[in-house]
Amino acid sequence: MFLHQLRNELWKLYGKKRTYIGFGMFLMAQLVILLVFRFSKASSGMSDLLETNGYNFRDFLSPLTAAAFTNLWLAYLLLPLYGTLVGGDLVAKEAEDGTLRMILSRPISRCRLLALKWVAGAIFSINLALALGASGLILALPCLPWGGLFVFMPGELFGVFSPKEGLFRYAAAHALMAIKAVSVMGLSFFFGCFNVKPAAATILALSLIFLSFILMNIPWFADLKPWFLTYHLNIWQRVYAEPIQWGKITESLSLLVGFNATFFIAGYAVFSVRDIKS
Amino acid sequence: MIQINDVSKSFGRRLAVDHLTLDVPRGVTFGLLGHNGAGKSTAIGMMLGQVWPSSGNIRICGQDISHHRDAALSKVGAIFEAPVFYDYLSGRRNLEILAGYSGETPPVRIQEVAEWVGLSGRVDSKVQTYSHGMRARLALAQSLLPRPELLILDEPTNGLDPEGIHEMRETIRRLNTDLRLTILLSSHLLSEVEHLCSRIAVLHQGRKIFDGPLSEARQPQGWVRLVTDDFVTATDWLSSQGLIHSHKEGAKIALTEGTQTGTVVKRLVQAGFTVHEIAHEEQTLEHFYLSLVRANRTPSSIQESHS
Repeated sequence: MFLHQLRNELWKLYGKKRTYIGFGMFLMAQLVILLVFRFSKASSGMSDLLETNGYNFRDFLSPLTAAAFTNLWLAYLLLPLYGTLVGGDLVAKEAEDGTLRMILSRPISRCRLLALKWVAGAIFSINLALALGASGLILALPCLPWGGLFVFMPGELFGVFSPKEGLFRYAAAHALMAIKAVSVMGLSFFFGCFNVKPAAATILALSLIFLSFILMNIPWFADLKPWFLTYHLNIWQRVYAEPIQWGKITESLSLLVGFNATFFIAGYAVFSVRDIKS
Repeated sequence: MIQINDVSKSFGRRLAVDHLTLDVPRGVTFGLLGHNGAGKSTAIGMMLGQVWPSSGNIRICGQDISHHRDAALSKVGAIFEAPVFYDYLSGRRNLEILAGYSGETPPVRIQEVAEWVGLSGRVDSKVQTYSHGMRARLALAQSLLPRPELLILDEPTNGLDPEGIHEMRETIRRLNTDLRLTILLSSHLLSEVEHLCSRIAVLHQGRKIFDGPLSEARQPQGWVRLVTDDFVTATDWLSSQGLIHSHKEGAKIALTEGTQTGTVVKRLVQAGFTVHEIAHEEQTLEHFYLSLVRANRTPSSIQESHS
């Protein structure tokens, strides 16, 4: 029965045009970044960096490097945007439109309804992150020869991997990006359980994420980094480290599970006492 | 079917429903009347477990709605004012989604209700292409999906054209007579309630100010309508004979105690008057409602209406 109802929630979610904004924008952004990367001198800085470290740039000018480079920025900025957009819509949009009243005239508990919506949102978020990974690679494949993976973020990352290892790291990073997408969706889902407009739920969640990101990057807060949500949301970066920091990844994953459970339970606590009116 | 016991609901300082007690028996079409903001929609929200009462309790189909919501609503269908759907999906998909919240519903049942409401030809079109009337029919279809015993209709004819209103009224009548559903009809349209309901309750500023059979609300007022060739001469003669004690509006007489309409006709004819029509005046629901509301106006509401 739960699966049957979940299928219905997915019909609603994937029937809406705005659900596809994220997928469309990702494709467009990836295409633009890839074209600039391939046909301009944008990769020359990368080439210098690799060659001064004793690597041959040609071995790493590959679809994996181009896709990882593109998705690095998209995962930081656009993934939270589309995750929160859909998360904020799940409850708040139905309340705003009036369809929630019709649903709640049926014998379904509020807890079950929220659980259905959260799982539907999580499926969307996972799909979004995985689509980001797949499309980045698929778009880059015809443009560049297959090769190793080079990932670089100033002060954060410097990773050089063989094609096989690179593919594994790329896949693992996007699997962890899916956890990030689910968590940001869960945050705006929580705000959507209050009596607010869907846009307000999205903006509140985005504000918290950006605030956490800004504070975390102020030097005074350097020692407090592990206390920020965004620190744990960006665990996907750690699979590009050498060696992989499994301990930190496990710790962050456990905290994110805790955050998600808290968002859901707090959202339910608010939603269960709310009056649903026209 | 619906038992509301001493229920109150406040939104902040505003008391929306004030100690409401109501009993809707099985099989009736029950009208819930009141002006906009009288508390009808809040009362319906509480019946459906969407709005939490501040005090009191509500039983639907014998089950407490606050504690056994699923059981209480398993045989209930509801339609709200200006029904909304997932416009980007087809009517059938909407019905499938909404049916899913009530449990497993076979596709044949969806087809059945679509046919019953006369929507089978367009059920696979997107709802955004539907007219108001078709949306109203779709709303009715979704309410019938769980084979309800109780239908709660909140202003079901709002936004419909005269033809749509007539069609909806006929459908509500059929639901009560053919399918034997108990119907709670909330409306501020007195004629609608008068046409469809056998019992009514009137809410005013959150309080119930009347609850009883419609016939009680339309009891004779004591005036008799009389149509003759010469009303003035006839009433003068009836007064001189002690058969009436007053008359008004050139067509109405008030009989003295113990006088029957038959006696009046007989005596008028014997005296040479022609009587075209004589009948007790029935009070309209509108008269009844307005007099009730006026009698229950609080000083603050009078001030509000003046300002």
